[in-house]
Amino acid sequence: MNIKINHIAKIEGHAGFMAKVINGDVKSAKLEVQEGIRLIEGILIGRHFKDMPIIAQRICGICPVVHNLTSIQAIEKALKIEVSAETIKLRKLLEWGQIIHSHGLHLFFLSLADFLDIENDLILTKKYPVETKKVIQIREFGLSIIRIIGGRAIHPLTNESGGFKKVPTILEIKELIKKGKEALLLALELGEFFSKIKVPEFSRISEYVCLGKEGEYAIYDGNIISNKGLNIPLEKFQNNFHEIQKPREIIKRVQFDSKDSYMVGAIARINNQHDKLLPKAKKYLKELGYKFPDYNPFHNVVYQMVEIVNFIEESIRMLNILVDSDLENALTKEYKIQKGSGVGAIEAPRGTLYYSVNIGLKGYIKKVNIITPTAQFLTHLEDNAAAYLSQLPNLTNKRKEKKMRALIRAYDPCVSCAVH
Amino acid sequence: MKPKLKKIAIVSLTSCEGCQFTLFDLGEKFLDFMSKVEMIDFRLFEDEKDKGGKLDIGIVEGSPMTKDNIKILLKLRKRSKLLIVLGNCAAMGGVPEIKNYQQGKATIKQVYKHVQEIFNPEIKEVNNFVKVDFVFPGCPISGDEFLKYFPELLAGNIPIIPDQSVCIECRKKGNKCLLLENKSCFGPIILGGCDAICPTSRMGCQGCRGLRKSGNIKTIRCMLKKMITDQEFKNITEIYGLRDDISYKNF
Repeated sequence: MNIKINHIAKIEGHAGFMAKVINGDVKSAKLEVQEGIRLIEGILIGRHFKDMPIIAQRICGICPVVHNLTSIQAIEKALKIEVSAETIKLRKLLEWGQIIHSHGLHLFFLSLADFLDIENDLILTKKYPVETKKVIQIREFGLSIIRIIGGRAIHPLTNESGGFKKVPTILEIKELIKKGKEALLLALELGEFFSKIKVPEFSRISEYVCLGKEGEYAIYDGNIISNKGLNIPLEKFQNNFHEIQKPREIIKRVQFDSKDSYMVGAIARINNQHDKLLPKAKKYLKELGYKFPDYNPFHNVVYQMVEIVNFIEESIRMLNILVDSDLENALTKEYKIQKGSGVGAIEAPRGTLYYSVNIGLKGYIKKVNIITPTAQFLTHLEDNAAAYLSQLPNLTNKRKEKKMRALIRAYDPCVSCAVH
Repeated sequence: MKPKLKKIAIVSLTSCEGCQFTLFDLGEKFLDFMSKVEMIDFRLFEDEKDKGGKLDIGIVEGSPMTKDNIKILLKLRKRSKLLIVLGNCAAMGGVPEIKNYQQGKATIKQVYKHVQEIFNPEIKEVNNFVKVDFVFPGCPISGDEFLKYFPELLAGNIPIIPDQSVCIECRKKGNKCLLLENKSCFGPIILGGCDAICPTSRMGCQGCRGLRKSGNIKTIRCMLKKMITDQEFKNITEIYGLRDDISYKNF
């Protein structure tokens, strides 16, 4: 008996799912990718590094900001460009805004219906009009941060190697603070709604990997850490984590030295860094009553809610600092173009995104490597799908299919990113 | 009696899906749009299977890059009265088209060790496969422009985007002209309607909305000569699939 889903709706990009079950034993569970290859790493070779953030962000229409920022970070390391403190502050805001709106889309419009047994979001939005309004307004805050600082929400414009082409005015920052305060209240209310949603009980012990840094909930820089004690500088990433291409597969999976699959994203970050959440997010997390370490992949959705609260708090705090800063310092200054290699890593909504780049003497790219969160957690997803499926022997095939769709969507996979 | 709602499908081929997210990001305006049509297929929004049958408007984003993509596109055309494309990938090839200008099959070898059995066709725009009735240009499309023209399409008419350069809106916004600061900008030859969003962020226009009918390429090339080399000019035109639309014989 097989479980087959031809096309999984409500995920980013195109994929199906296939599990082989013989006499109740789950023999295999696989995500079947149906995306074309755009060869973004290939087409960047021979082009000027300035094109890289512009082209690379077009890997993904839901998380372009993080592709843009991570490629800029890698370029700056390669060219040894130092940027101002204000530049980094604005970039962190962009990334928080990115995570707020991406999580908002996923937890409400893509995943929620699975836990309420609804098949169409139009029914969901009609049944929960108040919550729909709230999530739209929360998303709007994240989108506004990117619009104001980046110039456009999808495929932002102002950010480049060395800084920003244009910076927001103090008046615009003050407007954002106002919107942020409203969004925070709404997020706490929506959080309460989500705390009552019943998600399936299932867990399997595994390793959680994310960025980690002293004194902050790391998203922009830090070491690579895990719940099993891994702590390595980011430059060492490719020594411990290896991209492998299996026959006929267009996603290059990432294999950790231990050979065990691992998880990234909201659930990994919360497991590893929950002590660094800001007060309101910390309180909300405590009220949820989950025990750590938490190995239930469905909780990823609720942890996205915790992160939304946390990143709105972080954004308001940072915007208040920026009101009294000289934002002109974030404008790009001249820098020298020289050859070199660099690695960048930033926490994307779905987990750590890595870029490495090698730039030649005149600024033309010689090599690029991009490792996305979904390529990292794909094997973990399949391992959990197999384990979860084997716990559901008495259900009809249709119910099993539904449960598989819910599990896959709880991971928030981005197939466009994973294939690029 | 309630008026009969028009039947719509939104379909995505290989792409970043940023054009459909542009619609989604319209928030309540998008939900309002959804309530005024009968959505037959939109897989970002529903698990329900496509109910089949004829469509008033088929909307498609992305590049027809896999065999499945092409099948889906042909099927969509067959059942739609009007076929509308969203964005630069579908209309002009988008960033994936860059590989068409590179060294044959070499690009794929930079990415994959094992290239056997990987389908790697030349990138072709949607109108190479099917007739296209209207294009919402841009990378990504403009949400406001979608809301502006879609009612006309619902009424069965094909809107016409005025043949104006990006500069018209750029000047209206009071922006300092990037060209006057010796910064490369394709604004004068590119179709406006984007509210000059790039130059407003001090990013030179790179042409994602495509050439305007009456744009004078020779003149702009002369203007840009003091800022960028011929090679750099060609490189920029590759980003959004503009290069195969420009005749280089005149240079």
